[in-house]
Amino acid sequence: MSAALSGTDVSANVVDRSGEPVFELHDVSHCYGRNPVIFGVSLAVWPGEVVALVGDNGAGKSTLLKIFAGYLQPTAGTLRFLGRDVRFRGPSEARAAGIEAVYQDLAMIDQLSLWRNFFLGKERVRRIGPLRLLEREQMRREATGALAELGLTRIRSADEAVATLSGGERQSVAITRAMHFGAKLLLLDEPTAALSVRETRNVLTSISRARGLGLGILYIDHNMGHVLPVADRIVLLELGRVVRVMERGEVGVEELKDLIDTRGDQFGK
Amino acid sequence: MVAPIEPPPLASVSPMRRTAPQRSWLHAMLDVPELPPGLGLLAVVLFFSLQTNHFWSPQTMTAISTISSTIAIVAVGVTMLMISGEFDLSVGQNFAFTPIIWAILFVSNGLNEWLSLIVALVCAVCVGVVNGLVTTMFGIPSFIATLGMFFVLEGLNNLLISGHQLIMFEPSSAMAALGGRIGHSPFYMPLFWMAVIATGFWFVLTRLRYGNWTLATGGQRGAAKAMGVPTERIKRLNFALSGLFGGLAGCMQFAYIRGVTQGQGQNYELLAITAAVLGGTSLFGGSGTIWGSVIGAFLLATIQIGLVLIGVPGSFYVTFIGVMLVIVVIANVRLGRFGRFQR
Repeated sequence: MSAALSGTDVSANVVDRSGEPVFELHDVSHCYGRNPVIFGVSLAVWPGEVVALVGDNGAGKSTLLKIFAGYLQPTAGTLRFLGRDVRFRGPSEARAAGIEAVYQDLAMIDQLSLWRNFFLGKERVRRIGPLRLLEREQMRREATGALAELGLTRIRSADEAVATLSGGERQSVAITRAMHFGAKLLLLDEPTAALSVRETRNVLTSISRARGLGLGILYIDHNMGHVLPVADRIVLLELGRVVRVMERGEVGVEELKDLIDTRGDQFGK
Repeated sequence: MVAPIEPPPLASVSPMRRTAPQRSWLHAMLDVPELPPGLGLLAVVLFFSLQTNHFWSPQTMTAISTISSTIAIVAVGVTMLMISGEFDLSVGQNFAFTPIIWAILFVSNGLNEWLSLIVALVCAVCVGVVNGLVTTMFGIPSFIATLGMFFVLEGLNNLLISGHQLIMFEPSSAMAALGGRIGHSPFYMPLFWMAVIATGFWFVLTRLRYGNWTLATGGQRGAAKAMGVPTERIKRLNFALSGLFGGLAGCMQFAYIRGVTQGQGQNYELLAITAAVLGGTSLFGGSGTIWGSVIGAFLLATIQIGLVLIGVPGSFYVTFIGVMLVIVVIANVRLGRFGRFQR
């Protein structure tokens, strides 16, 4: 696996953490109803940095990602985006600020064409009184251009159904979409789950590209072999708490797997 | 790798389809959602034209166009709502409730006819808003929320006119505008309003951001929400539209007949859903067209009137509709048409 993914190694770059982080959680907690799932987590992502969230099922990775995305509001703690305290009431506010999330199963809507998917929630519109008229031609052109850049040559037009795209292509399109809208922070929820080796490489290349453009990236993956080549920092979560933060090169794949497994065992899993 | 025994359904992804842009004429045809129901309507019209000399008479044209128009107007709201992934079983009762309110205010209490129409339509919208709030705030299936509203309205309708019929004898400008004759043609105003509303909502669905969000909400609600689409607001607005058009179509029926009973609109909730499904709207949300539903409504009315013309007892037509509905849905599922997408 590591040989197949070697083209995505970005270790040559060093992250500059002297400046302001893109996004910062400070002492954030979250409860689902009366059920606490995140306990006082503090975490920052700097520009051009890939932070991987790892941990067992139920560790709170997805909940944390959803807090970053504005999908969930923390029950305690503060969020800082580009140095300002923020509170997002929903994903659209987070998107407007420059935070784009790509979820494993929620990347695309099959019933909409590619260009409609590409611009969903950020449609180019012309206002006529209360009406918001879709700028269809402009969006088709823009989407076609962005997808051509991505190198998805099989896609003949932005009018096509996304049902014809493979899982990896969907993720790549979603990441391209995020960059197209000038995201400062990219959130990825298991972007390589259930993908072939080649597709995984394409997705990891997209992640590296985004990193090279100076985006902060927060990333969840269960496959440690995918995490290590791209992550600048690895954050181990356990039952809603950060238990360890590892710099690039600090741990190997097997060690990381053991860390997640054994620590889980302590809690009788 | 074991070769699959069964061929994959047509809607699924196959490598062949990706590399070969040429598709069969059948698929090209199915890409126009309105074409299959349109051909069905054509066949039905041809059949009845050949069976009876009365089919093209002005009386038949009046009956078919007016019945289909009122069903189609209800179906426009129901289609928008179904595309966003919800149902409204209360539209049929709203179809009676709204004109009853209108008639009570203006026929029985002498309030200004236009003002009372507006009040009645506000009531119709409120019914939809309540359906929407109950469904989205409590997270219950709209099937149940609107079934509850169905009974609530049925009871209210009974209470308000208790088995009587409200009749309007005097000429009135509001009645003429909603249900009057168009010049000396065999057609009446509901047909005109249906054309206006259907064109308007074809535009809304395909050309406005609201339409895009409606399709996205019904297609994959979680994904739409993650992209910042206010899915609950979209659903609530479509519930309101469903209420409005259910009530408005009922007022047109009242204006056309010049009378309203509590039984008006019986089965209309099911006829509207049937029209939408015959026209290609998905029962699972995310796809459908306004013109498809209009064609579906014309199919229903043409069969209803046509069967009477050829001597089949009037109430038998629903049996025919039932069989046709099931066959159409089986065909849609088999041909993978529920996998269609909005360009």
